[in-house]
Amino acid sequence: MSIGRRWVPAVLALLLASGCAGGAEPSAGEGPITAERLTIAVPAAVGGPLNVFVSFQEQISELVYDKLFAPSPYVDRPQPWLASEVRMVDPSTWEVALRDDVRWHDGEPFTADDVAFTFHYAHEAPTGRFTHHINEIPDVSSVEVLDPHKVRFTCAFPCPDLGPVTLADLPILPEHVWSKVPPAEAKKHDALPVGTGPYRLVEFDPTTGYRFESNPDYFAGAPVVRELVMPIIADPSATFTALRAGQIDAAFRPVSPELIDEFSRSSDVGVIQTRPLRFPELRLNFERAPFDQPRFRQAVSFALDRQELLDTVYLGQGRVADKGYPHPDSPWSDPTLSTPSDPARARALLDELGYLDRDGDGVREGPAGPLRYTVITSGVEPTQVRAAEIVAEQLGEVGIAATAQGLDAGSFADLSTSRDFDLQVSSITAHGVADPTQFIMSHRSGYLWDAPEIPYPEWDALFERWKATTTVDDRRDVAFEMQRMFNQQPTSIPLYYPDEHWAFRPEAFAGWAESPGFGIVHKWSLLPHDVAERAEAIVVAGS
Amino acid sequence: MTRPRAVAAKAAQYALVLWAAATLNFLLPRLAPGDPVQYLYGGDALGLAREALAEVQAGYGLDRSLPEQYLAFWTGLLRGDLGRSVQFNRPVTEVLAEFLPWTVALVGVSTLLALLVGVGAGAWAAWHRGSRRDKGAVAAVLALDSMPGFWIGMVLIAVFAVGLGWFPSYGAAAIDAEGVAWLVDAVHRTVLPATTLALATFGGFFLLTRAAMVSVLDEPFVRLARAKGVPEGRIALHHALRTALLPVWTNLTMVLGALLSGAVVVETVFAYPGLGRLMYDAVTARDHPLLQGAFLLVTVGIVAANALADLTYPLLDPRVGRASEGAAS
Repeated sequence: MSIGRRWVPAVLALLLASGCAGGAEPSAGEGPITAERLTIAVPAAVGGPLNVFVSFQEQISELVYDKLFAPSPYVDRPQPWLASEVRMVDPSTWEVALRDDVRWHDGEPFTADDVAFTFHYAHEAPTGRFTHHINEIPDVSSVEVLDPHKVRFTCAFPCPDLGPVTLADLPILPEHVWSKVPPAEAKKHDALPVGTGPYRLVEFDPTTGYRFESNPDYFAGAPVVRELVMPIIADPSATFTALRAGQIDAAFRPVSPELIDEFSRSSDVGVIQTRPLRFPELRLNFERAPFDQPRFRQAVSFALDRQELLDTVYLGQGRVADKGYPHPDSPWSDPTLSTPSDPARARALLDELGYLDRDGDGVREGPAGPLRYTVITSGVEPTQVRAAEIVAEQLGEVGIAATAQGLDAGSFADLSTSRDFDLQVSSITAHGVADPTQFIMSHRSGYLWDAPEIPYPEWDALFERWKATTTVDDRRDVAFEMQRMFNQQPTSIPLYYPDEHWAFRPEAFAGWAESPGFGIVHKWSLLPHDVAERAEAIVVAGS
Repeated sequence: MTRPRAVAAKAAQYALVLWAAATLNFLLPRLAPGDPVQYLYGGDALGLAREALAEVQAGYGLDRSLPEQYLAFWTGLLRGDLGRSVQFNRPVTEVLAEFLPWTVALVGVSTLLALLVGVGAGAWAAWHRGSRRDKGAVAAVLALDSMPGFWIGMVLIAVFAVGLGWFPSYGAAAIDAEGVAWLVDAVHRTVLPATTLALATFGGFFLLTRAAMVSVLDEPFVRLARAKGVPEGRIALHHALRTALLPVWTNLTMVLGALLSGAVVVETVFAYPGLGRLMYDAVTARDHPLLQGAFLLVTVGIVAANALADLTYPLLDPRVGRASEGAAS
């Protein structure tokens, strides 16, 4: 035992020494802006070789694929990308001229047939991330090929935002590859992808990861990094240890708040702060009493002290979520939204609703007994567990007894999707909180509000008005009304708007740039900066 | 009982065990709450609509009744088709074939290391039993044995990967290396995780060997050998160690049985693509087909290790063979 005791302090000293190696000066931004090869750890290979019909990460698959507009629906002004000119003929018809200098990675020319095929194929394929965005909202009823480089989109109801939203969302697939895959089998296609993008995926192995080579003939300009290797490192600690050791150059995973200070002090590691379009949320099960009552949901919103949630759970690394849902940085969010914390109003509302603490035990009672609920969350996400605990405490202060419960990820997903829960803390990313059509999709009757006994007539009336609008501005105005209504009777309450920090090795590559909703690891960091700036795809310092 | 009948009875026994284990493997993931499709498609967009979920579930055969799924499971199994992993979107047999060699390499090397060092050091300590060297060695081994594998791994990473930069801290092989370079890289990457596993498991071999050998060293046949003037080295290796190895062999077959699934923590710390971590992720994602396949592989491994022990005991200890023949006649 004595040997063990002598050995442990020596090892701890070595650990500390290695952890403290490095100077005190931050060095983000200084370093080469081109590289021969970068190694970027990714947390998983879910979905295999970037099949867009399966779960995947948009940032990674968009290294290979392009869209008609760029970079995404999450910026103010998406720019034509595979498109060269776009014209709204009338509110339901768009004509899009395509670039004629684009080739697929296998050398085949990119044409209007590919665009028409992609839309038709998505109509027939099993529901996935993109399909309902062209089959339902908007409903693209036909895509005609007018000439080899021109297409006409026709929508079943007005689609004045087709260009900046839908066309900035759907990756275009090669007809000559995907026409051989029956649409019903789309999710099972596992060949290496063929795209038009700046990188070709040349190798994929679930045990080692991805390897990309740059596409030197990329129509927008050759990428500044020739080769990308993306090993799969599932564990966050293992990821950042590898970064500290210089064995990877960046990570497709933000740094946890506890590590930010250490990395910021290191001269070997650069840190970039971004404002992600995601947030942790408290979801309320509107299929269950009393959360089926709009004013009860509003009382829950008033009860939450968002400042405490930000400070305690996320160590103050972000902004107070006092503007509700969607994310305030989305160009499609009403800037006047306000969701204040006000426990006194919460108590008054609960009193008005008849939920009183008649027996004096600190817990209010309703027709079905005391208000006692469980806040479930994924037990493998420490910040979410902490957030659930604090939410439970804060609800307790207004007389709603709540217990936080961490579950394994599989059980949590099951209860969440089958809506067998009272309250839950989860996390929602850009597609959910910044995409205007997803906001409509999720909250109108018939989609997530699909239980026949729970209609949402107020929302549906607004939805009909929204569908009838013929300009982007009018549509935005109705959407703002929807957002105000949503936040007055929320089914999702943002807990805080986190900042994100991304760590990288500046001596390997320092050209990283933020693209809204996409962090720093995306194709816009890997293209010449003037190209990314022209596409309005990156956040430029000072802007 | 005649020998062929005994062999047939044994084979039937193993077949029954395999059937029961495979059936349990089929049932367990389905008894747990959670559904792979909901795991994969829940979350970001507030989940898929119910019809869409049902559509995807049907694609993976998850909408069928349990007996129908069970029948499909056995039909597929007999054809060598283990279904398609929901998570990886590939046939389960392919996924297992990709991960299995890495587990065998990692756990095989570390078990061999633990065995050789543990048996050698245990025999050495037993030979010097009661001395300060023996006491020191036992204390050191006990201290090492009490450290969790993940902690040993983190220390090795901190010192040899981050501090000294001698070894990579993650992965099993470079994606783009070929031939000798690939092999060198794979060996290089295996050093730290294999050492970690070996350090975490060699204590068992050491203590077992030492204890068995200490008891053997007092046996009359050892004293007789010494009286006959047999050299000390030969007594230690040929007379004492050989006789003391039977419990060590038992321990080895037990370790081999757990070989395929036992390294999940070390695989996580080193981001090593082994079956342990694969199974952990499959449990989390409720990836039924992959879980069934992986569990089946582990079951077959354990049954095979037991069979190996059954078959080899008579070779190591002739008394076992005689006893079983006596019982059969």
